[in-house]
Amino acid sequence: MSYELIALLMFSSMMLMLLTGQRVFGAIGFVAVVAALCLWGDKGGFDLGYGALMKLMKWYPMLTLPMFVFMGYVLSESKIADDLYRMFHVWMGGIRGGLAIGTIGLMVLVSAMNGLSVAGMAIGSTIALPELLKRGYDKKMVTGVIQAGSSLGILVPPSVVLVLYAMIARQPVGQLWLAGIGPGFLMAGMFILYIVIRCALNPSLGPALSAEERDIPRREKMRLLWAGTLPLGIFMVMMVPFVMGYTSLVEASAIGALAAFVAALLKGRMSWRVFETATRQTLAISCMFMWIILAALAFGAVFDGLGAVKAIESLFTEQLGLSPWVILILMQLSFLIMGSFLDDTAMLVIVAPLYVPLVGALGFDLVWYGVLYTITCQIAYMTPPFGYNLFLMRAMAPPEITLRDIYGSIFPFVAVMILALIVVMVFPGIATWLPNMVYAN
Amino acid sequence: APGILRAQEAIKWRFQTYAGSALGQEVTKPAIDAINAAAQGELEIELYYADQIVPTGELFQALQRGTLDGVHSDDDSMASPTPVRNFGGYFPLATKHSLDVPVLFNQYGLAEIWEEEYAKVGVKWLSAAGQDPCNFNTVKPITSLADMDGLKLYTFPTAGRFLSQFGVVPVNIPYEDAQVAVQTGELDGMAWSGITEDYTVGWADVTNYFLTNNISGAWIGSFFVNQQRWADLPEHLKVIVSSAIEASHTYRNQWYWGGEARLRAQGDKLELTSIPQDEWKTVEDAAVKFWDEMAEEGETAAKIVKIFRDYNDVVSKAGPPYTF
Amino acid sequence: MRLMRGYIRFVDLFNYGLGRVMMFALFGLMGILLWSTVSKVFYSPAMWTLETAQFVMVAYYILGGPYSIQLGSNVRMDLFYAELSDHRKACLDALTVFCLIFYLGVLIWGGLASLAYSLGNFMGSPFSFFARLIGAFVTGGPDAASEVLGYIEVSSSSWRPIMWPIKLITCIGLFLMLLQVLSEFFKDILRIRGEAV
Ligand code: NA
Ligand code: NA
Repeated sequence: MSYELIALLMFSSMMLMLLTGQRVFGAIGFVAVVAALCLWGDKGGFDLGYGALMKLMKWYPMLTLPMFVFMGYVLSESKIADDLYRMFHVWMGGIRGGLAIGTIGLMVLVSAMNGLSVAGMAIGSTIALPELLKRGYDKKMVTGVIQAGSSLGILVPPSVVLVLYAMIARQPVGQLWLAGIGPGFLMAGMFILYIVIRCALNPSLGPALSAEERDIPRREKMRLLWAGTLPLGIFMVMMVPFVMGYTSLVEASAIGALAAFVAALLKGRMSWRVFETATRQTLAISCMFMWIILAALAFGAVFDGLGAVKAIESLFTEQLGLSPWVILILMQLSFLIMGSFLDDTAMLVIVAPLYVPLVGALGFDLVWYGVLYTITCQIAYMTPPFGYNLFLMRAMAPPEITLRDIYGSIFPFVAVMILALIVVMVFPGIATWLPNMVYAN
Repeated sequence: APGILRAQEAIKWRFQTYAGSALGQEVTKPAIDAINAAAQGELEIELYYADQIVPTGELFQALQRGTLDGVHSDDDSMASPTPVRNFGGYFPLATKHSLDVPVLFNQYGLAEIWEEEYAKVGVKWLSAAGQDPCNFNTVKPITSLADMDGLKLYTFPTAGRFLSQFGVVPVNIPYEDAQVAVQTGELDGMAWSGITEDYTVGWADVTNYFLTNNISGAWIGSFFVNQQRWADLPEHLKVIVSSAIEASHTYRNQWYWGGEARLRAQGDKLELTSIPQDEWKTVEDAAVKFWDEMAEEGETAAKIVKIFRDYNDVVSKAGPPYTF
Repeated sequence: MRLMRGYIRFVDLFNYGLGRVMMFALFGLMGILLWSTVSKVFYSPAMWTLETAQFVMVAYYILGGPYSIQLGSNVRMDLFYAELSDHRKACLDALTVFCLIFYLGVLIWGGLASLAYSLGNFMGSPFSFFARLIGAFVTGGPDAASEVLGYIEVSSSSWRPIMWPIKLITCIGLFLMLLQVLSEFFKDILRIRGEAV
């Protein structure tokens, strides 16, 4: 059997295994070790799975994962985001769709304080969503707002996805993170624009707050504005020493986690319940990620052993004879399609190592591509049948939000995100300007 | 019908090198390409680069077990489970030029020791060769020993032990991650290679200075094969493998020797600095002590250190160009 | 059935306790990384921090793994799965769980081989090595056992920590994961038989 055929067989049996609904890491790991045993038998086939464990141990940037997850949970569980939400509420409530716009703003700030989209999702669906529904906002639109907004968590630094990408593409995390800021704001801006236009056309989607509700003393308004400096403070404490080169990436993540913890403590929100939940959830999410990566690394090693990278390269460049841009667009399309069916972390560990060398060989900037990749991941997070944000939304949303609402809510936002993807593709400067400026020397 | 020769099934080997793909093109791929071409389809070797199939720390185990059939690496960074481990890679101040290495192996008896020690652990050692010296490339300039204090450097385990007495903090990460680790602040630079490698793998893009003093004149690295696979190989293929490897040593020696001179003189990415010779003497004296310590680790270690001493005696009496 | 319930109770309780302890390893990890920062600013940076942090991280997610299964945090692709009744889910799981068991089995096999290697067993089966090791320990005590050991693997770093402790920890963790998955399997059996779990 040719190697290409084996690779194809592995990929399709992985898909099949995933469809059975077994835990993702088990499905992928099983295919990986069976393939390794068939190919190499007891001459090394059996230790490939464990070899992945040793390899993962040496991936030192993974140390940031539990730190950034913990940061996010401290933030959402301690409810220090409440003030932030009130700030947007008070300042934006007066305009049509203002609370939805404020929610996007809230999501941007939350994104700056955690590495995944879980915390944004938790804050959005527990704090923002009930308020929005109470004020008569359209449930489909606001469900989409929260899912789309929280997905910014992986694009705005710190971002675990960009850390993972950095390891695979061997690009500097600092530059990748800075590259995510521009597109993050662009995308937030596009979400806001979408809300403004929808609400202008149909005011009943997002009614403005009444005058008496907005009658809040100026001092209180200013005090709430002050609340907005908290996330900025945490962000700066972590990012500035890192970008300046005083602390390393993994050290910065620990500082960030400590800063979030101290902030919650100072605000008097660090109860035992909050502490216990954040710690437990961090273990749960970290385990989920690490076990999937473990299995995916074994799968990737077999793929590598089969020479799949060379096969893909020759397929795209020699056999099909396509131009670089066509190849890039095809790759993004295939990512989008696979991403809607597959686990995103596994995708990153299995497919990215196949594609990234090709992107580099075609002469594209790998920092810029990291941003494209992350936006694709964001879309994959939201598109059925498989998406973390869909899972989370289902688990966290109030009962009046049905599964149909959740699925229906995402399409306009996915369209906006694809548009953002195209804009960043056409204007690479949106991503590369900031890192180039900061790291100019 | 009988008498018609049946096409023989190709022997397939998986071979992993310590080098990432950029460097591997120069240090390992030429040997593999030559073997594949000369073997006319009877032996097909697939080459993999650093960490591709197994992480570097597991290279040796994979080789013994047959996950890999062949490996190109130094004994030190792949954590070889033999007493020769400390002497592969860069044993501090043991050599001055890459030619010292084949002389030490073929005329002074290191080859027999290596062969014997690896046979004990089920691995066929094929051949060792010298490569580039071990200089420093760093973000901040080093002009005195004091500048080394507190530097986090990517370096070899044994070299790291030696350098830690000068305040260097040796950091161990996968080879391919080193460049990015400088950018993320995990590293202040490398004490890993000569200047050719710095430019080839991109380290010159993230560091600014190159210290011309080296702690070893030539990297000692070897080609290894799984013992059983070697035994199974027909005689004529063994000759092809061995000759191609020997030929690749010559290619590498020229590539490095030429590159070191050209990039020091004409390269524009790294600024050269030096520690004055009288201050560097401290390092050389420390190496003498370090050798004594290493010799105490066992019988084999003592034998190797004695060989290094004997050879360096000869060389110092011979004078330049042997002593620079 | 009673045996099954006993097994489930015992394994779940043990892994729950271990997981509860391991979840606080997060702060050990944080402490090491913060110490790494502090030592860099005030003293000479420490040689051991990065590698120690890596060991803690591995212990964190491997020993914490069984508890994460209990918490149900391991995502599934539920395109079809979500639509199934609880009974059907249990039936399907009871089948596909063998894939997971197989994967863990191979991981443990590789882990034991790697552990044997780290204790100096280069050739021959790891299982016969452990048999010899345990046999020597039982008959001759620690001294006899150390006779069986060979070259003790150290990490390929300058700090050179010995590798067998972390490999032993991962083997134990993987084994506990296997026990936990078996417990999930038994729960599925009980569910299929219509018993409350
Ligand atoms: Na973020
Ligand atoms: Na998806």
